[in-house]
Amino acid sequence: METKPKRNKLKMSTLEAIWGYVFLGPWILGMVFFIGGPIIASVILAFCEWDLLTAPKFVGLDNFGKMFFHDPKFWVSLWNTFYYTIFAVPLGIVGSVFVALLMNQKWKTVRVLRTIYYLPSVTAGVASAIIWMWLFNPDFGLINYGLSLFGIKGPLWLASEAWSKPALIFMSLWAVGGNMIIYLAGLQGIPRQLYEAADIDGAGIIHKFRYITIPMLTPVIFFNLIMSIVWSFQIFTQVYVMTGGQGGPADSTLVLVLYIYQHAFKYHHMGYASGLSWMLFIVIMIFTLLQFRFAGGWVHYEGELKK
Amino acid sequence: MAEKLTFWQSKKRTNKIVGWVLYVVAWSGAIIFVIPLIWMISTSFKAPDQIFTIPPKWIPISSVSLEYDTQIKAKKTGTVNITKGEGGIKVVRIKGAVHVVPEVGKVKVYKGEKVSRGTVVGTMPSQGKVRIYENDDIDSNTLIKVLDKKKRVIKEYRVPSGSSIKVKDGDTVKVGQKLATVLPQWKNYVKAWAPEALDETFNRYLFNTIFVTVMGILGVILSSTFVAYGFARFRFPFRDPLFLIMISTMMIPVQVTMIPTFILFKYLGWIDTFAPLIIPTFFGGGAFNIFLMRQFFMTIPYELDDAAKIDGCNYFQIFYIILLPLVKPAIATVAIFGFVYNWNDFLNPLIYLNSSSNYTLALGLQTFTTMYGTDYNLMMAASTIVLLPILIVFFFGQRYFIEGVATSGLKG
Repeated sequence: METKPKRNKLKMSTLEAIWGYVFLGPWILGMVFFIGGPIIASVILAFCEWDLLTAPKFVGLDNFGKMFFHDPKFWVSLWNTFYYTIFAVPLGIVGSVFVALLMNQKWKTVRVLRTIYYLPSVTAGVASAIIWMWLFNPDFGLINYGLSLFGIKGPLWLASEAWSKPALIFMSLWAVGGNMIIYLAGLQGIPRQLYEAADIDGAGIIHKFRYITIPMLTPVIFFNLIMSIVWSFQIFTQVYVMTGGQGGPADSTLVLVLYIYQHAFKYHHMGYASGLSWMLFIVIMIFTLLQFRFAGGWVHYEGELKK
Repeated sequence: MAEKLTFWQSKKRTNKIVGWVLYVVAWSGAIIFVIPLIWMISTSFKAPDQIFTIPPKWIPISSVSLEYDTQIKAKKTGTVNITKGEGGIKVVRIKGAVHVVPEVGKVKVYKGEKVSRGTVVGTMPSQGKVRIYENDDIDSNTLIKVLDKKKRVIKEYRVPSGSSIKVKDGDTVKVGQKLATVLPQWKNYVKAWAPEALDETFNRYLFNTIFVTVMGILGVILSSTFVAYGFARFRFPFRDPLFLIMISTMMIPVQVTMIPTFILFKYLGWIDTFAPLIIPTFFGGGAFNIFLMRQFFMTIPYELDDAAKIDGCNYFQIFYIILLPLVKPAIATVAIFGFVYNWNDFLNPLIYLNSSSNYTLALGLQTFTTMYGTDYNLMMAASTIVLLPILIVFFFGQRYFIEGVATSGLKG
């Protein structure tokens, strides 16, 4: 008598679990075949040499030895990716927070403005890379024309070793609208009472910004910073289109993913390319962990007690 | 002094001034942001000689003063050759008659005229009509001056193309200073759509892209709602660790899995087919989308499920009869993001598609630029073709973009 309802309950929860796994099924399969399996395979490949034609050969740490000591291009590509990220991400965050603050005003035209700022981020891809190639044209591009109006002779941009990376960074700022929307949602989630209380205390705009807006926004900034770095390290399409897959001039835009692409799909160095992709992953992980390490210092979580 | 102080002390005033400054900054920024797209559209309509100009030309309409081309001079009276030249529009004068032809032109020839080698060799009747021929580069109102033997202007006409004016023997016909207007070059789009240097037209790329995009969106919607329902509504062992694993896969760069996945698809014989772009979307549809859908499912009260259960619905029925209609806004968001992602995706098509008949728009456009590297008007026309559907979807689906980010980005 007593065990019956218990058994029934157990049965219910088992049934629920089974159903749960049924619904998770597609994802679990995808996880095994398209993520988990490939990750393991990629680790193994990183220690092999394989041109897809002959059998893969285990070479131990050779790929990494070559990478670190005999392949200056690896360091160049790492440096280029790093350079791009270190400028594009902070500038992008400052830019998108700033635009979000502007878009959080109560203007009649604010919807139009939001549309305009957001639009470029959905055009990301080959087409926008081509538009920027034209804008960066040294002789007839709009950017150098604009600079010439101020008496500045613009650089060669994509044709210049020194200016090709700044050009990519500059271009990346065009897409701040994507993150702007995230910050805008964050700003709109800040309780009004905080500002009202500050008004009563006689705080000005700058104080409210410094002591309410920014702290309340830090969790969103933190999340966004992590994701932006992950994406920024994966820059590829723009570079491929703008340099015809070369990463020129003089490897100045050879980013890590482009270098991986070249090894994997141009030279069919599957093992070496896998090793490179793991380096990419490790660098991203280091950055992410560092951010978590230092997050406590500046990220403010509501309801968190600080002493 | 006292007044000045109150001016700056007045918070209302300062706020107002700051507000105005911000407003001006916001609009200035917006103008800068929209310039690249306007510039793209403007360039896409330009004639070749309008592209490389300083200062840049914003509106692709320009007046061309058509003076008699000294290079094309009748060797003998009444004979003229029109051959392929440096470009632009040529004016041909044939004893009192003016022909306006494009670079390599076909001029209608009339009685008494000679044609040879595909180029026009014309002799006009000594007395007759001057014809302004139809040409899509030429404005319909053309200014024509007729001069008599003493070089006096006897008549001025504004002649629509295709019409004719009468001249007398010995009259000279001069084309006025502002003769023609180069109008927006719609034909750039025709040229870009079916590029001579490429094997395929954009018809093919468009069809392929639509196919891949539609299938991709379908896969993402079906599987992400399905899996998200599992995460949101069931209690089972390892649910939360699995969810955490799923979230953390967002951090793994695709490049890590790209190479083994490529090899897997190679062994499956999927290279140069759309399968690698479509099939994986049916297995989960991406961590971001599952996450977004799950957040949305969580906002729907459990009471609905319970009521349905009492009415005898099983979990499948609860899923697609009760809950699916309620998460439509989230589905729209996922669909729109899926659309943008698939439409713009470059890396995957680049890796998996080899033959040009399988190219997507992104890949076709990239190939296009390698062939037409300096024809910026054609490149911009091709870019506009590729971007236009995105822009249209964006304007109609704006709401879903913004809502989607708001529900997902924040709670992360």
